[in-house]
Amino acid sequence: MNSPDSSKYHKKIKRSNDIAKIIITVGGYGVIASIVLILMFLLYESLPLIISPSVDEKDLGIADSKANDIIATGLDRYTEVGYFLKAKGQIVFFYLADNSTAYKDSISLEESESIISFEKGTLGKDIFAVGTNKGRIITAEAKMSPEYHRNSRTIKCSFKTNEIYTVENLEENTGEEISSLDFTENEDGFNYWGWVNQKGELKLRIYDSDEEEYYSHNITSMLGDVNISSIKFSSSGELLMVGTDKGDMFWFDLSDPEDVLLKDNWRFSNSKITKLEFLIGDNSLLIGQQDGSLTHWFPVRKKDGDFKFTRINDFEKQNSKITSIQASPRNRSFFTINEDGEIYLGYSTTKSIQLKLDHTENKIISATYSPKADGLIVIDTRSEMIYYSIDNDHPETNLNTLFGKVWYEGYENPAFVWQTTGGSDEFESKFSLIPLIFGTLKGTFYAMIFSIPLALLTAIYVSQFAPKKWARIIKPTIEIMAALPSVVIGFLAGLYFSPLFEKHLITAFALLILIPIVFLMSIYVWKLIPENRRLRFPQGAHLVFIIPFLAASFITAISFAPYFEDLLFNGNLNQWLYNTLAINYDQRNSFVVGFALGFAVIPIIFTISEDALSNVPKSLTSASLALGASQWQAVMKIVLPAAAGGIFAAIMLGLGRAIGETMIVLMATGNTPIMDLSPFNGFRAMSAAIAVEIPEAPVDGTLYRVLFLTALMLFIFTFVINSFAAWIGDKLRKKYARF
Amino acid sequence: MSDKMVVDIGKALTSEKINSINEEKIIIATENLNFYYVADKPALIDVNIAIPEKKVTAFIGPSGCGKSTLLRCFNRMNDLIPDIKVHGKILIDGDDIHSNNIRLEDLRKKVGMVFQRSNPFPMSIYENVAFGPKVNGENSKSELDAVVESSLVQADLWREVKDRLNDSALDLSGGQQQRLCIARALANKPDIILMDEPASALDPISTGKIEETIEELRGNYTVVIVTHNMQQAARVSDYTAFMMVGELVEFNDTRSLFTNPNKKLTEEYITGRFG
Repeated sequence: MNSPDSSKYHKKIKRSNDIAKIIITVGGYGVIASIVLILMFLLYESLPLIISPSVDEKDLGIADSKANDIIATGLDRYTEVGYFLKAKGQIVFFYLADNSTAYKDSISLEESESIISFEKGTLGKDIFAVGTNKGRIITAEAKMSPEYHRNSRTIKCSFKTNEIYTVENLEENTGEEISSLDFTENEDGFNYWGWVNQKGELKLRIYDSDEEEYYSHNITSMLGDVNISSIKFSSSGELLMVGTDKGDMFWFDLSDPEDVLLKDNWRFSNSKITKLEFLIGDNSLLIGQQDGSLTHWFPVRKKDGDFKFTRINDFEKQNSKITSIQASPRNRSFFTINEDGEIYLGYSTTKSIQLKLDHTENKIISATYSPKADGLIVIDTRSEMIYYSIDNDHPETNLNTLFGKVWYEGYENPAFVWQTTGGSDEFESKFSLIPLIFGTLKGTFYAMIFSIPLALLTAIYVSQFAPKKWARIIKPTIEIMAALPSVVIGFLAGLYFSPLFEKHLITAFALLILIPIVFLMSIYVWKLIPENRRLRFPQGAHLVFIIPFLAASFITAISFAPYFEDLLFNGNLNQWLYNTLAINYDQRNSFVVGFALGFAVIPIIFTISEDALSNVPKSLTSASLALGASQWQAVMKIVLPAAAGGIFAAIMLGLGRAIGETMIVLMATGNTPIMDLSPFNGFRAMSAAIAVEIPEAPVDGTLYRVLFLTALMLFIFTFVINSFAAWIGDKLRKKYARF
Repeated sequence: MSDKMVVDIGKALTSEKINSINEEKIIIATENLNFYYVADKPALIDVNIAIPEKKVTAFIGPSGCGKSTLLRCFNRMNDLIPDIKVHGKILIDGDDIHSNNIRLEDLRKKVGMVFQRSNPFPMSIYENVAFGPKVNGENSKSELDAVVESSLVQADLWREVKDRLNDSALDLSGGQQQRLCIARALANKPDIILMDEPASALDPISTGKIEETIEELRGNYTVVIVTHNMQQAARVSDYTAFMMVGELVEFNDTRSLFTNPNKKLTEEYITGRFG
């Protein structure tokens, strides 16, 4: 026994045992680890969506200027060069890196003339108008364009004065002081200037560059007896908003340059309106006030069909007067400056102030967004310049916009909206995951109500009632259905079945009603046959017996349904549904999907529950039959409860499959992200949204990350469902299945 | 009832010396019963037997002799097996159990069965016992309570489980489970209880308890028990039938069969020369 051969042999066995143990352990933990890693990766990709922005402060030193005479600032799109404009008209371009001067120029002003107001025309561009104390409005353009030499980039600075306009009707001595100036230049070549003169009159000047024609208006009389404190054009120039020191708001329509129209006016508080600003897209209006309140408005269609500016949100109230609001040229973020020198960074859609920068004790005289909205430059009264670089990749998303109702511009109410791409740069992507989650659940729901009864009844029939030789055919046949690629099912459902279903809707409904009735009738007829004759038929004959009845109901439905349609539904059920019940019938709808998705799910539910039912010991069935139970009673009272764990697991696995299924819902739903329970509508499921949109989502962009979040949601859904299924299945098995 | 009996009892008996059976009231009788699992290979060959009422009758014989098959014919449990064939008649209380007038469910209610391995349902003790009455249409709670208690008392299990009727039946010991199965069969108030080797999977003490239970049932129920433990047959039964290769070799009162068998085969079997 103790021969060297034997000990060698034992060692060998031990070694293979050890190796097997290690491999199996590593494999098991590897699976768990990879699942955890996938989860972590999804989290890593989607977490930036809700992370607060961060900011980096860089002191640029003192501007080349005496204190207090800087009027305005600007930055180029690479934030390499900035400029400041002094009251006396000098403009200085400087490098941010070392504060050295890049280029100098000036607006030629008269002696004792100085700039008292300044306004940039277009978001992200440096065409601006300045107003002077001598009644001149000068429009000029600062250009900072990149030039490439070999591989290095230099910013070429230039400056030119476009137009000098002297306001008519000058006062004798002082000239007309231009205050509350606003200016915009739109894409169609229209320029709009608006200002308030010393007498408090509001004057407009519009230039049509195509027609080379000027229009002038004095609209003071349309306002009544008010003191104008702030005016603002939308960047298209079509809207003009005017705020007064008593808190009145006026809304003018300038779409016809010859005819200024007062659309609406309202008052919402008594505090002086100190600053107005339109966000990108010309819809959202921010109103800043003397008391530090900041409110968000946009036009909403009211019941009478008219649009009214509606108060959407009150941002956090600030401690002092809001002196400046600037919209980002990129998205719906903005910053405000108040009199205490605090800079608040906010975002309209998320209704949040995302960052607060407590600048200095010194008052801020000018601040500007960089054209990419990734930084802002601030100059205070001591001419100290600071550049804040802002890391805010996904300002438009937070938990509320992802999962809550959001009142988007143009909508009548807050809503859950998924609409990720639009036609223009001004389009705001809407990332509510709720319609996708809803779509997934809706599709799953319709699939399950179609597949659970069919699959379970088939499983019960095959395992408990069917003759053995039938069962041997039926089971593998259904299992082969699982091997059908879902793209094939989706293709058939979307391109063949859904048009057919639409065309023969009435027939389908007729069958839905007819088949159960005929089925019950045929059972009744079967029962009429005397039992001794019935028993002479081979097992399973009742099924063959039912076939002619079903065929008859098919033929009846197909041949008579059109007459019914003519008779009851004016010849077209789809139209009738729309007219009478206001149900819109989409060709690719939840019925079709439920049917198609059901096909994918049935094999899973069937196979697993059939196994569970077959695994219930025959001794239990025998025992119940021996106690005088009918076969049906034995199935319902003994077999089904004993197999409940397995059946539950089967349903849950089917549910998991339906939730994760992509191709079928992609091809057969129409992918409309609407939230409507109607079976005649489509939906957009999470899986389909990922499949459709990931190719058009820029890497690391918001859509990209939102799709990762969607994937994470799907992962969590299926994970929770499967864990729940395992847990419940285990409990049921412990309770019923100890045999 | 007995005037409905069609069977010739004298023919059903294999020995004219047996007087006692002639005096008994017969509840189960078979007439030239042939049974086929597979065509052309009979599992029972021309069995004629008359089983007396309210007595304990044991079927003995070597494995595969057909004693369980015969037992299962009496409540038609063999119907579950596909492609079986039955020729001949089985009469219970004079009625042919294969006739169209007999509902299978009623037959099985009347002829209860206890299986070789205990097979309690995965439910509470109470639900197990109440199952038979429930599927046969009894819904009254008080009625069910009474039936459960009396059945458990008769099966000698009441003392042990009365405080935990709602516990799972699967928590009982093997012997208790088998007595629960007896109680379950009794709850249907059957006339006949078929027992298919009820103690073969149990330890001696549990077997003893089962035998005690059968003792209790004697006189109130007709008990037909299949066993291949001859001592058990001798201990518990009033009558014993010896079968071999599908044929009923000898049927007599137990004492006569064991002490003075009529057939040489019987003698060889009970003395242990084969089996």
